[in-house]
Amino acid sequence: MFRYDRILLAAAGLLALGICVAVAWEDARPGYAPYQEEFKSLVEERFGPERAAAVPAGLQQIWLEGAERVDRCTSCHMGVTWQGLDDVPQPFTSHPKAPLAHHPVERFGCTFCHGGQGYATELPAAHGWVEHWEEPLLDRHLSADYRFRDPLAFLQFRCNLCHRFDREIEGAPYINRGKRLIEQKGCRACHVINGRGGAIGPDLTRVGEKEPEQYDYSRLTSLPTLFGWQIAHLQNPKSYSPETVMPDFGFNTEDAQAIALVLLSWRDTDVPAELLPGAILRDVPTPEEAERERVMREGEGRFFVEKGCFICHDVSSFGIVSATKIGPDLALAVEDAPRRFGRTLDDFLMHPSGTMEVVLSKQIPLTEDERREAFELLKKAYEKHMKEQGAQDGGKPR
Amino acid sequence: MTEDSLTRARPGKRRWTWTWNPASEREAGDAIVSNFAFHGFPNKVCKRSIATSYSFWLGTISLFLFLILTLSGVVLMFLYVPSVERAYGSVKDLEYAVSFGRFLRASHRIAAHLMVITVFLHMVRVFLTGAYKNGVHARQNRPLNWWIGLAMLLVTLLLSFTGYLLPWDQLAFWAVTVGTNIANAVPVVGEAVRFVLLGGHEINQNTLIRFYVLHCVFLPMALTGLMAWHLWRVRKDGGLAAHDQVAREERAAPAPPVKSKTYVLLGIAAGRTADVETSVVDTERHLVPAVPGLVRRLFVVALLTFAATSALAVWVGAPLEAAANPQVTPNPAKAPWYFLWLQELVTVTTVRIGGWTINGALVGGVIVPGLLLLLACVVPWLDRSGAEATGAWFHRARRRANAVFLLVCIALVVLTVVGTFLRGPYWNFYWPWEEWPAHPGRY
Repeated sequence: MFRYDRILLAAAGLLALGICVAVAWEDARPGYAPYQEEFKSLVEERFGPERAAAVPAGLQQIWLEGAERVDRCTSCHMGVTWQGLDDVPQPFTSHPKAPLAHHPVERFGCTFCHGGQGYATELPAAHGWVEHWEEPLLDRHLSADYRFRDPLAFLQFRCNLCHRFDREIEGAPYINRGKRLIEQKGCRACHVINGRGGAIGPDLTRVGEKEPEQYDYSRLTSLPTLFGWQIAHLQNPKSYSPETVMPDFGFNTEDAQAIALVLLSWRDTDVPAELLPGAILRDVPTPEEAERERVMREGEGRFFVEKGCFICHDVSSFGIVSATKIGPDLALAVEDAPRRFGRTLDDFLMHPSGTMEVVLSKQIPLTEDERREAFELLKKAYEKHMKEQGAQDGGKPR
Repeated sequence: MTEDSLTRARPGKRRWTWTWNPASEREAGDAIVSNFAFHGFPNKVCKRSIATSYSFWLGTISLFLFLILTLSGVVLMFLYVPSVERAYGSVKDLEYAVSFGRFLRASHRIAAHLMVITVFLHMVRVFLTGAYKNGVHARQNRPLNWWIGLAMLLVTLLLSFTGYLLPWDQLAFWAVTVGTNIANAVPVVGEAVRFVLLGGHEINQNTLIRFYVLHCVFLPMALTGLMAWHLWRVRKDGGLAAHDQVAREERAAPAPPVKSKTYVLLGIAAGRTADVETSVVDTERHLVPAVPGLVRRLFVVALLTFAATSALAVWVGAPLEAAANPQVTPNPAKAPWYFLWLQELVTVTTVRIGGWTINGALVGGVIVPGLLLLLACVVPWLDRSGAEATGAWFHRARRRANAVFLLVCIALVVLTVVGTFLRGPYWNFYWPWEEWPAHPGRY
């Protein structure tokens, strides 16, 4: 019964010992070790043995205490702060100088701007190309996935995490373009952005916080990603959410990409305040913008803003500008209504037909008094328009 | 053993060491008596008790796994930070920056999974061999030890469950959400139990620190105490039930007269003489000295347990998902695997008739497991088979009990397997070769 016990004991002991050795072996050779050796010989080759001796060994990390963040990228990317390695292929390339001037590596780390998994010390995991890591490295592969013309386009959205209130960010053309479009197209007519805007669409201030699971991908033909959904939806809102009243702005692909990047960046950041000295931390409108908004909100035409008519219609003589210009300028409604519908404006307002019948019954229900008020106001707007027209044409003979 | 070998140890000279390889019965006895680690062992053990085919060493393996868990766990306590801000980061650091951190964590996790399995299998073994029944010795109370064992099974599950939350990733957060929601279905006290366990109505810092203290202090201490009691009871019950079987067979078959001192004549036995008689089995034929017979095998079991745990730790590793996010429920959200038979039962017993839904949480989550536990507790009194069925695999007298028990076990295993491997998004059924719908990502 006990004949094999000694042999078994010896075998079990050897097995356990073997596994211990294997574990120790693996631990002694971390994933970054070969890169560090390679870098050392590269430095020796270029700058001589003296500088090679100064190359650090072992785990390298940048610990950002305020942000509870650790970036171990420099364990392999050892050339980041070295000069004269611009022509060396990754992972040893020197970092371009311009961005680092204001964002020194030792204070900002790497993943704040580049994405990726700062904790990790081995390849697929460190670049975030693994399951359960939501912030992959924003490299050319990712830009290529979405057919960006600029391979570094994706990187730019992380600039806007901190610089969201800057009008213009140096070196982030996509973000700048997106911001311009958002201003031009008047997204604030329907959406609240940073506390200002209309209540027809959802508040977009923190839209980047929305989780991918919260979108409906059933109509999307490409892979179900939040970013893909945003681009598709911007280019053709009704196809991806049929209930929406959001108009098609005719964005081309690059427009949509730029806006989607901005939307993606509108989320909470864990940037410690000490990294943002003197930064503007709120959205301050320019004086002209503020005046324009004041006129729309408080001027003679405020009725049309309150009721939401301005989403589709200008009322030019009252200084009301529609971003979408879907409908005609209401300053001319008095003469426009008879021409279009063969009826007087007050009759049309009381008994609208066509599109306005739907709009005034469902989206903007008005009481009879309000319709009368609208008519009076539109008459005033027309008179004002004619007067302005007259003043303009004043000297000219008819 | 010859007379010569017994006297070889020089009398008068004090021995400071003991031998693993005794040359005499005296040396063998010395090795037990003078070694603190072995002082709980008998001098001699029944051969059948230490036969692998009887016990499969499942209890022993569980004990060694607990030892591995304690040792690795104490080291992990130096490295892990039980706060919602740092917990996930400290586990990531273990994975990537701490020397042997990944191995340590994986060993701990794998050993925990294995322990749930071996403790369960140990219970199965005890049932199928009728080892919860008293045999032929006096003053046995094996039903008590069966209860202690059931308590240890529950504590093992709780230990594993409380440890599940600590990495503070999505897997942890939602598994504990599902697990504690099942507790919610217990009538009257369920909500209060959940409140006390979580330290509030939702899983947050309060929960984490509660689970941490339960996991690192309270439950291990409870398990250690129960384990000591359990092992002490094994000795008091006259060793493993296999020994009762040997004694019974010996009594039944007219064996050559037992070479024994006649305890009966000394008249110190308090019980009937029969028990004294039966506890004396033929030493030559059935017993071996614990050193080296038992001890060497214990070493083999310990080493193999360590080797298997370590190998699995390196090969399989421990999962770590995205950081816990109360806003995003993974689909499917699954309880820890050893509770998936419950989650599966809850699903199966949830009945929809037209617009009405009868939630299965009460039936599947409370009544069924409660009944199973109650049955397990009273089974020593339901079992009417005689002492001959004690300590024998699949004894004929217990055929029906074993069949029912096995069916229940198979059902549990099947439900667990279905819940673990065959349930996808929305708890829909997917064969292993069927692909789950693509999970939406950010980019």
